[in-house]
Amino acid sequence: MALSVDHLTRTYAGAGGTTLTAVDDLSFSAGSGEIVGLIGPNGAGKTTTLRCIAGILRPTAGRTAIDGHDLVADALEARRRLAFMPDEPHLFEYLTVEEHLRLVARLYTVTDFDRRARALLDELELTGKEGSLPGELSRGMRQKVVIACGLVRDASTLLFDEPLTGLDPIGIHRMRETIVARGRAGACVLVSSHLLHMVEEICTRIVIMDRGRKIADGTVAELAARSDLAGAGSSLERIFLRVTGRDAPVEQP
Amino acid sequence: MFAASLYIALCSAKNRMRMRLRRLREPRYFIGALLGAAYLFFVFVLPRRAIGRRGRRRGFPGGEAFGEAGLAFGSVGLMLMAAVAWILPATSSLFAFTEAETDLLFPAPVSRRDLLVHRLVRSQLGLLFAAMMPAFLIADAASAFERLLRGLALWVMFATVRVYFAGVTMARAHLGSRTLSAQIAAWVPLGITIAAGAIVGTPLIKVIRLIPTASFPEIIARVNELTMSGLQAVVLWPFRALIRPLLVDSVASFAAAIGPALLVLTATIAWVLWADAVFQASGTEPVIARAPAGRRRQASAPRVRAGSLALALTGRPELVFFWKNGMQMVRSLNLKSMLPLMILGVYAVVGARAGFSTNLAQAVCLAALMLAGAATLLGPGSVMSDLRGDLRHIELLKTWPVGGSAVIRGEMLWPGALLTVTTWFLLSCATLLSDAAFPRVALDWRLAFAGVAMLVAPALIFAQYTIHQAAAVVFPGWIPSDNDMRGFESMAQRLILFAGVVLALIVVVGPGAIAGGLAGLALYRLAATPFVFVPCAALCLGIVAVEVFLATEALAPVYDRIDLSGVERGD
Repeated sequence: MALSVDHLTRTYAGAGGTTLTAVDDLSFSAGSGEIVGLIGPNGAGKTTTLRCIAGILRPTAGRTAIDGHDLVADALEARRRLAFMPDEPHLFEYLTVEEHLRLVARLYTVTDFDRRARALLDELELTGKEGSLPGELSRGMRQKVVIACGLVRDASTLLFDEPLTGLDPIGIHRMRETIVARGRAGACVLVSSHLLHMVEEICTRIVIMDRGRKIADGTVAELAARSDLAGAGSSLERIFLRVTGRDAPVEQP
Repeated sequence: MFAASLYIALCSAKNRMRMRLRRLREPRYFIGALLGAAYLFFVFVLPRRAIGRRGRRRGFPGGEAFGEAGLAFGSVGLMLMAAVAWILPATSSLFAFTEAETDLLFPAPVSRRDLLVHRLVRSQLGLLFAAMMPAFLIADAASAFERLLRGLALWVMFATVRVYFAGVTMARAHLGSRTLSAQIAAWVPLGITIAAGAIVGTPLIKVIRLIPTASFPEIIARVNELTMSGLQAVVLWPFRALIRPLLVDSVASFAAAIGPALLVLTATIAWVLWADAVFQASGTEPVIARAPAGRRRQASAPRVRAGSLALALTGRPELVFFWKNGMQMVRSLNLKSMLPLMILGVYAVVGARAGFSTNLAQAVCLAALMLAGAATLLGPGSVMSDLRGDLRHIELLKTWPVGGSAVIRGEMLWPGALLTVTTWFLLSCATLLSDAAFPRVALDWRLAFAGVAMLVAPALIFAQYTIHQAAAVVFPGWIPSDNDMRGFESMAQRLILFAGVVLALIVVVGPGAIAGGLAGLALYRLAATPFVFVPCAALCLGIVAVEVFLATEALAPVYDRIDLSGVERGD
């Protein structure tokens, strides 16, 4: 498996000496070419899960591995194989777009950098912005730079946290194509998003989380069947509301 | 708006303190805090009690000790600071609004003046802490009430300095304005400063020239006389007004002295608000009030300079950090604003060397030596373009396939190299002029000293950076994400860190210094030339380099376990 998450648990210290369990005994795996959607309500633990997989947070318990390389025991090998694209585009204020890409290329030993960079800048509509500093770019543009940094190398596992935030309609369209293309090329892709129609459209499998736990895992058809919504032309949105127990009508005041 | 500002300031301070107290549940922070408290107790509180037992003295301490001399030197020093502020390559952050303030307050129905007043209010708690800390910690026989008054006097002075520097930053940014009103608002204060500098500076230079021949009491008497007479007295009045409350010896005289100081503060605030209104009305870009919220961003937007160095696509990972930190620093600096300082420095060295004046050569040599010492011993604590500055990017760094030891070594490479080169440059200047400052010391000894200093300086600089990186990975929550003091805890932490750095320096540099020293003495017996100390300094440097390497290797597992939730973020 390209990505395996086994009994992952992550807790935080909360107020008043309490412990907040953000991710609770989560297990799932994904193979090459799979595009897995990670969805859940706010506070479900999606971002914490992605950060644990990316090696940013150390799991309180359990393990995650990329291509068999443990993120804690064999961190460098695992990190070489994954690309994490966070929801907030944190870039170095004083490095240009091109310098960011070059920096990543150096760190990950990308050989044909110029060709790749040019292609990526075209693909993400960043051509002409190579010499710009992050402060001169819009939020959407900065998001694209973060994604370009993730894609400039051949990562076997791609982690996207809300990849469409701040993008314009053309950007959203292109980003969907980019993600699908990477999946078709054999990468294992994990996408966390609240845009359920996009997740439904591009993902081959869905993992639904709530309160830190996995509550459903499967294709849209499988999830629909399990939640008694099969055959009704169910959308992922209906399935999601049903599975998370939030499908009751809300009383208006 | 004033009440709202006060509410924001107090609630933020309260919640920040709660968060920091909560962090003490982690054993390492708790132990660190205990050690810090013990350090403060033994270094500051205990000596104060000892002085108290030896006999209390009524009145403010220092009143008699410093007296008029303190007032004279203090006012001249403040005035020099006020003049130097115009050429300093730094900008005030007083009116740099945070993202939250920009998003929430700018759209609110409040005037621009209220927004500026809001920033003034928000800065006061930090200044109050900064004033009260020395007032209460310095060991002398003053009562708690006297210390409180002394702290208040310091607060007024700090607040005035802060507001003045914000005004200077604002005016400097508009010196090139195309609007007449903005030009007047920008150039008139600069003109006044130059005129004031000339009025005080001319007689002051005469006094300085007396230094080699006159006694210390004579110098004091001359400076007193200078500050009390003629136009100088008028020019220095605001500065004396700010210093006087610190030096009075009774509560009654404090009450009389604080009024003029508050008047100076009010006038400074009024000037800044007026200047901002003029700049705003002139339609020029409001660079200060809408300064970006990013913690390290400058009031002026960063620019990509020509001749940027391209990163090679292969090589050691440490060099990636060297390149990154170097590019970031070069682009974050306002090189134009550093130009006057550079010209002044070059003029001083070239002029002194060309034999314009022996006094000037002596002064420049001593100044270069002092600056070299400061760069070596204080530089690593101040130049934070290393892991401390990169803690806000730690999430990104942790996804990179680079080992912790390489990250730590790479992060300190640029600032360490920069300070080393700066120190070498200053030592070279001092060596060049050393015949004027140290005529009795033989040339070979002066050259040997320069060689030894040039080798020992990088050892001291990199040893300190290693200690700072260690602190950053062990106590990431204690590393300030900017250069502002953030309350008691931060100030105490800095004191602790300073003490820790000194102790660790002794431990790290000690073996090298002993080995180099012993080797030097042995070789000197054989060769009897001071140049034998140079290879011994190289031996010291080598030993420290090995220690630094081993320390960075040992820190790697700690880096991998950095707890991000311990890193304070947000506004």
